[in-house]
Amino acid sequence: MGLLRDTATRRLWRRLALLLIAAGLLGAAAPVSEYQLKAVFLFNFAQFVEWPPAAAPRENAPFVIGVLGKDPFGADLDDVVRGETVNAHPLAVARYHNVAEVRDCQILFIAASELAQLEGILAALKGRSILTVTDAEGLTVRGVMIGLIRQDNRIRLRIDLQATKASNLTISSKLLRPAEIVGSGG
Amino acid sequence: MLITSAAFVAYEYVTFRQLTVRNVKILGEAIAANSTAALAFDNPNDAREVLAAFKAQPHVVAARLYLSNGQLIASYPDGAARGPTAQSLRADGYRFEGGLLTGVQPVVQGGHRMGTLYLESDLGEIYEHFQLFVAIGASIMLVCCIAAYLISRRLQELISRPILALATTAQRVSEHRDYSVRATRPQGHEFGILTDAFNHMLTRIEGDQTKLRSQLSRLDLLHRITRATGERHDLPSLFRVVLHNLGEDLPVDFGCMCLYQASAAALSIAVIDPRSAPLAAGLGLTESGQVPIDQNGLARCVAGELVYEPDTREVKFPFPQRFAQAGVHALVIAPLLVENQVFGVLVAARRDPNSFSSADCEFLRQLSEHVALAAHQAQLYGELQRAYDDLRQSQQAIMQQERLRALGEMASGIAHDINNAISPAALYTESLLEREPGLSERARGCLVTIQTAIEDVAETVSRMREFYRPRETEMVLSRVACNRVLEQVINLTRARWSDLPQQRGIVIQLRTEFAEELPQIMGSEGELRDALTNLIFNAVDAMPDGGTLTLRTRLVTSGSRGGDDAARQVHVEVADSGIGMDEETRRRCLEPFYTTKGERGTGLGLAMVYGMVQRHSADLDIDSAVGRGTTVRLIFAAADTVTAPGATRAPLQPLARRLRILLVDDDPMLIKSLRDILEQDGHVVTAADGGQKGIDTFAAALALGTPFSIVITDLGMPYVDGRKVAASVKAASALTPVILLTGWGKRLLAENDIPAHVDRVLSKPPRLAELRAALATLAAPEDPPAALVESA
Repeated sequence: MGLLRDTATRRLWRRLALLLIAAGLLGAAAPVSEYQLKAVFLFNFAQFVEWPPAAAPRENAPFVIGVLGKDPFGADLDDVVRGETVNAHPLAVARYHNVAEVRDCQILFIAASELAQLEGILAALKGRSILTVTDAEGLTVRGVMIGLIRQDNRIRLRIDLQATKASNLTISSKLLRPAEIVGSGG
Repeated sequence: MLITSAAFVAYEYVTFRQLTVRNVKILGEAIAANSTAALAFDNPNDAREVLAAFKAQPHVVAARLYLSNGQLIASYPDGAARGPTAQSLRADGYRFEGGLLTGVQPVVQGGHRMGTLYLESDLGEIYEHFQLFVAIGASIMLVCCIAAYLISRRLQELISRPILALATTAQRVSEHRDYSVRATRPQGHEFGILTDAFNHMLTRIEGDQTKLRSQLSRLDLLHRITRATGERHDLPSLFRVVLHNLGEDLPVDFGCMCLYQASAAALSIAVIDPRSAPLAAGLGLTESGQVPIDQNGLARCVAGELVYEPDTREVKFPFPQRFAQAGVHALVIAPLLVENQVFGVLVAARRDPNSFSSADCEFLRQLSEHVALAAHQAQLYGELQRAYDDLRQSQQAIMQQERLRALGEMASGIAHDINNAISPAALYTESLLEREPGLSERARGCLVTIQTAIEDVAETVSRMREFYRPRETEMVLSRVACNRVLEQVINLTRARWSDLPQQRGIVIQLRTEFAEELPQIMGSEGELRDALTNLIFNAVDAMPDGGTLTLRTRLVTSGSRGGDDAARQVHVEVADSGIGMDEETRRRCLEPFYTTKGERGTGLGLAMVYGMVQRHSADLDIDSAVGRGTTVRLIFAAADTVTAPGATRAPLQPLARRLRILLVDDDPMLIKSLRDILEQDGHVVTAADGGQKGIDTFAAALALGTPFSIVITDLGMPYVDGRKVAASVKAASALTPVILLTGWGKRLLAENDIPAHVDRVLSKPPRLAELRAALATLAAPEDPPAALVESA
């Protein structure tokens, strides 16, 4: 165990050192790891979105970030949320193979692998106050609330306000600033 | 103001710094809040846009946004390379450093730190603000200063100067104690009032001061006068000293003191102040002059009231009018009251009308009280002095009487001895003159003179008693021819006025001016002789360097009764051209024991003369002046011109019968002389020396049947005196007459003190005639003794 943790810690340190070096060399360059960055983004959404009380985690229950489909984050998401809290709820990462498994979940990342079943997924989640996020590329994803779009070597946000409104989620206007808004007309 | 401004500036500075910090902080917080999403989702463009908002704040010179991992995401101004790295950022917060306000503002969203905002704000805003503030403050200050200066100048004009002037005046007043200084009245209402009040106060103080001074000086004057009067005890000098002080120090132009004479209803002016003498002359007032009291101010004053006429011209009474005419217009008359009785008034006057203040009047009233008191005391003192003098005089008189009495005692002893001593001389002289017809004229003359001298001695001795018995006038008056007495005295005193002075080379010339046909006077020749002798001695003593002694008799007819004899006087004068007497001596020369001759004099000469004069009911005049000699004049009433018949006594013939006489005396000389005289008359004399022997002899003779027909015994003898002898004789033979022979004879006669058992008292020296008369009288009825004698 100790050895394992040591190894992990050393790895983290190495990664941080790399990150810092990169930051120092590249300035505002793209993050070192795409999914690392996306993991941070997922975590950050929790800060800018307000859930209706019914959808908020129950007392003593964790704030759950779910990953549906083939997990692209590896351990990065777990690293990011470890030890973090949202509104005094500890964070937990849940991985789902299909939408039916999705239970108490506040943020759901829909991996690119589930692109084909997207319609069904969204339908299943309809009416449930779950913030849906995807990074599926190349197509216009309708109905997913926040899309993480790669653009000029950066990840940009695209927010479907229609979808969020439908799900009774309140998106902070701050979040809207750097994001591309779609479906605002609703 | 500067401090206030500085305080304000400091306050503003601090406040503004805090404000700036707050503003920057708010700005930073706002920017941080806006940049959360940009940081959270790594959006540099958005971050730059957010930071671009600082353009609205020109003082924010730089700003940067860092991600939470320290990566710089955006900076402002765009692309600025300057600025710290995330690692060099200091702790969160805002602080001033290096002339900048730097802030490190955490960017937090939902409790998570998204990154850090760093910003720099220059302090231009503060400085601008501050400069503006300072500029405004300075200009306000300047304006204030100018305004203050102007106001202060104006105020100084208005306030400081009058106050300073007042202060200067006050200082001058207090330094010089000169309350006559006044502050000048400035323009302007309030200070005018203040200055007026100040001046008014000064006036009051000055008035009070003056009043106080004058009261003090009055008090002092009163004190001085009272002291001065206390030292004087006679009214005139007391009044003079009061007037002197009054004229000098009150002062008054005229002052006088009058005494009230109620009986004459007038004031007599006692003293006028010498300085106001010219005025007094103008007023017609002179010392010891009189002012009548009519119904005017004087009457009121005499009634005990102080009278003040402020202007005499307005008073119609004569006394004030006198003053008005002399140009004296203010008049005060103060009564001198003692025990509610006015005995005088004090008059004080001044030329100027209304010039006596009420204080002056009050002073004069008090003064007059003091003066009255002092005068009263002086009077009492005078009375006391007189009483004391009287007492002293009577004490002296008593003392002198005592001395005289002692002298008299002594004198009587001396008289006794002298009488004894001269008895033989008297007896033999008389006997010689009678029985020796063959005497030459000259011898006879000498014998007569001796006889006269002896008689004078006897007379003198008999007068000695007068020293202590002045009222006993035992004098036998006879007709005396003054001229003859004077001639006798000249002879008696020749040695004194002629011989003795000549031995010293001094010549005293004697002049006699006797009136012819001078009437005789009734008197005692001996006394007159003594008196004249005394006067001549005095006259000689008064001419130590020689001179003229004048003896004068005159007949003076005076009175209006024409030829009436009673008015005729005989003047006997003894005058010298000697040193004379001063007033004191003149006054006292008649006193007993008063002498100017020192040890040489007894002080009794003139006293005896005076005693003689009184006994003769005569008068004594003394004219004397120092250096011009003295004349003593004795003035007698002339006796009737009718010559008394038979003035000369015919010598009694010796008794025809022979008597057996027992002679008892302790003085052998007397025994011998008496025995001789009596035996010459044919009597048988047995002598016994001493009282006891006399008694024994008488008893023996009686026992032998050859009793004495008469006993002559001396009075004063040792052991057994004449009284006892007489008593024994009478006891043995009641019918045997006893003659008491005594040196005190006259005294016994005078006192009617003839002892019992004594038939006759004869004084020594015995006169032959008296003795014969006594023998004749006492022995006359008895014949048998002759038979006895014959039978014996």
